[in-house]
Amino acid sequence: MATEETTSDQLGQSAELRLQKLKGQVFEVALVAATLVGIVSLLVLFAQISNDAFQPGTASSTWFLVYFGTLVAPTAAFTLYARRRPAVRTANALAFAAVFGGLLLSFVTYAVVDALSPYDVFIYAFFASLPPALVLAYDRTTDKQTYTGPLLPVSILVGIGVAALVDGPISGLVGIAAEWIMYFGLVTVPAALLVAWRTASRRGRRTGAVAGGVVAAGALAVAVASISLGTNASLLVVLYSAFAVPTGYVIWRSVKTNPEGRIGVAGPFIILGGVLLGASIVEQFAIENPDSYLTPTLLLESWDGLTASNAGVYPQIVGSIIIVGFMAVLAFPVGIGAAIYLEEYAPDAGLRGRLATLLEVNISNLAGVPSVVYGLLGLALFRRTLGFGTGIVVSAAGTLGLLILPIVIVSTQEALRSVPDDLRQGSYGMGASRWQTLREVVLPEAIPGTLTGTILALARAIGETAPLVIIAVATTKYSPPSGLFSSATALPLQIFAASANAKPEFRHGVVPAAAVVLLILMLLMNATAIVIRNKYGRTN
Amino acid sequence: MSESDTSPKIQTTIETSDEESKSAPPNVRDTVIETRDLDVYYGDEQALDGVSMEINEHDVTALIGPSGCGKSTFLRCINRMNDMIEVCRVEGDVEFGGKNVYDDDVDPVALRRKIGIVFQKPNPFPKSIRENVAYGLKIQGFEGDVDERVEESLKRAALWDEVKDQLGSSGLDLSGGQQQRLCIARAIAPDPEVILMDEPTSALDPVAASKIEDLIDDLAEEYTVIIVTHNMQQAARISDRTAVFLTGGRLVEYDDTTKIFEDPEEQRVEDYITGKFG
Repeated sequence: MATEETTSDQLGQSAELRLQKLKGQVFEVALVAATLVGIVSLLVLFAQISNDAFQPGTASSTWFLVYFGTLVAPTAAFTLYARRRPAVRTANALAFAAVFGGLLLSFVTYAVVDALSPYDVFIYAFFASLPPALVLAYDRTTDKQTYTGPLLPVSILVGIGVAALVDGPISGLVGIAAEWIMYFGLVTVPAALLVAWRTASRRGRRTGAVAGGVVAAGALAVAVASISLGTNASLLVVLYSAFAVPTGYVIWRSVKTNPEGRIGVAGPFIILGGVLLGASIVEQFAIENPDSYLTPTLLLESWDGLTASNAGVYPQIVGSIIIVGFMAVLAFPVGIGAAIYLEEYAPDAGLRGRLATLLEVNISNLAGVPSVVYGLLGLALFRRTLGFGTGIVVSAAGTLGLLILPIVIVSTQEALRSVPDDLRQGSYGMGASRWQTLREVVLPEAIPGTLTGTILALARAIGETAPLVIIAVATTKYSPPSGLFSSATALPLQIFAASANAKPEFRHGVVPAAAVVLLILMLLMNATAIVIRNKYGRTN
Repeated sequence: MSESDTSPKIQTTIETSDEESKSAPPNVRDTVIETRDLDVYYGDEQALDGVSMEINEHDVTALIGPSGCGKSTFLRCINRMNDMIEVCRVEGDVEFGGKNVYDDDVDPVALRRKIGIVFQKPNPFPKSIRENVAYGLKIQGFEGDVDERVEESLKRAALWDEVKDQLGSSGLDLSGGQQQRLCIARAIAPDPEVILMDEPTSALDPVAASKIEDLIDDLAEEYTVIIVTHNMQQAARISDRTAVFLTGGRLVEYDDTTKIFEDPEEQRVEDYITGKFG
């Protein structure tokens, strides 16, 4: 060394170290800026859309005061109260899921079944669930090693085939029954069975049967009461079975198992009650509402291209739900099956291995193919080759299904890949076959990741417009699709069409309001994905 | 006994030395596993080279040797866990109860139900403790009292007292040593004949490791245990017989543990054991 340096000199900050530190700080600032640019521009966009949709500027200050008093203040107070009480928050989360999940399930079920005709849906559901129920019953009665597992999906397919055959002849016969009886069979019976099963596993069979019976009897009582009052018995039966029963069950369980947090179940009712109370006060004192475009008319009526205040997108909402639901039925088994094959069964080497590798590379590429191209594919496949009608539900669902298939496959593969190999080895080492290892160890571990990926794919599909334009799905339709082969309609298409409307109140009012509806649909799907993932994550 | 070049010629001393072995009964033991000229290749690379050895029933047999010497490969050949590796090719015989396990009519799934395995890293399933132990029973269609079997297996794995009040909680909530004993309980629940252990204590702290060692001693009363270990003292403490593998996948010496550790035939083995190499 040329010059003697003391240790304390060496510990000081040299020019080089200062420069290094500065570089790090500049980099960090750049990263923060990048993050902010993205988030802020999204926030501005959402704020603009919601401002156009709700028009809060047109409301009187009294209106704001009323809702502040009934909704905002109680909710804020409750949130503050629950903030430091985990037991309350647990109960609150459960109640939230039950109340809003139940409401959502009720309205979606009712709207979809109502569009497709409750009688047909009932016949199909009945014949599709009878054979697997018989198979399961047979499995219970016999001790022998049986092959009921693979029989289940086969029996469901057979049941659907039978339903297609007998639907015509017996629909007249079933049609004699009142409509609410169909909803009773479709919604109340599964709910009652679920309650019976849950209770039976805790309290024994007899109590379970009683609990199920009570649920069913309650639905009958609701139906009778609503008929005598002259209201819509079908909707009330659905609300009772899919909203009131699960909410009641969850609240009862929360109060029983989580006594210190039981006040938490009030959370969702504070919000619901606040909205209802606010609305009734506004109504009572004739307080000036904002000129919002997001009105019951928009949600519950069909389209009117001349008067913005009469325009509704109910058929489009239901159409989107039906398309995406049927698409899920088509794409999920295929996509998840393909992913399981590629990840678990396909060999790494040899001819089949090379083929599998080629497939995997191409699937990743397909995930990036523009959606317009999928529209052309759908047109060629469903309209030209298979000769289906123009713009029907099956074509739309099939086209969107092809579009999300690569996403489903890739995300399921990721989920399977993230299952540690140790677990597979452990299972094989116990003398489990490949199928047993897959069913008992690998798939349960991969479910959360798979669900997250697939439901995000659903959210992508619900917003797709271009492929639907190409396969000529109707833009404006005055009733939701009445079956899988009837002509489809979808919310993003209506938004697209309305954005070209000559009247500015359509372009700057109805379009953003419908966009908000679409965003809410998408957010609900993502929320469902998160809830399901967390539920599975917790049990593991 | 095969006369291959790598096989030691000291087999004649087994019968006499058995009498000094502390836990072994004086009678001559039956061979349960016998390998003859076992060669294993991973692609072009040879992992085992002409290994011939006989493993006695109810013995604890330790396989020791430096890293990459093929001892784990040998272990995994016995219950055909190597089948999972596509590039792995096995030549030669591995006889279990007189039957070559690589014969075409042997189902590896059935084989693994007879020969259980415990891995280096504890790998309980993300299920409850009870479901972990009952896993083998479930997949094998066991029709007896599952709860009784679970209790018995956990007791035999010296874990029952620690977990009897939390059978429903996840196996992943246990400590590392407890997880490994859970894996042992899981392996013995379906009552296999042989238990293979691939460095079962190397991921554990010394206290947990010594518990597992005690356990292996007890297990040998009912099962044949074959254990791969890096820990020379462990092999000396728990095994009846020791096989030393050295580089190139060769079995260099195989004899009673006391003989191997006190008076090995081969200079290389002595060097390895005394730490001069490896």
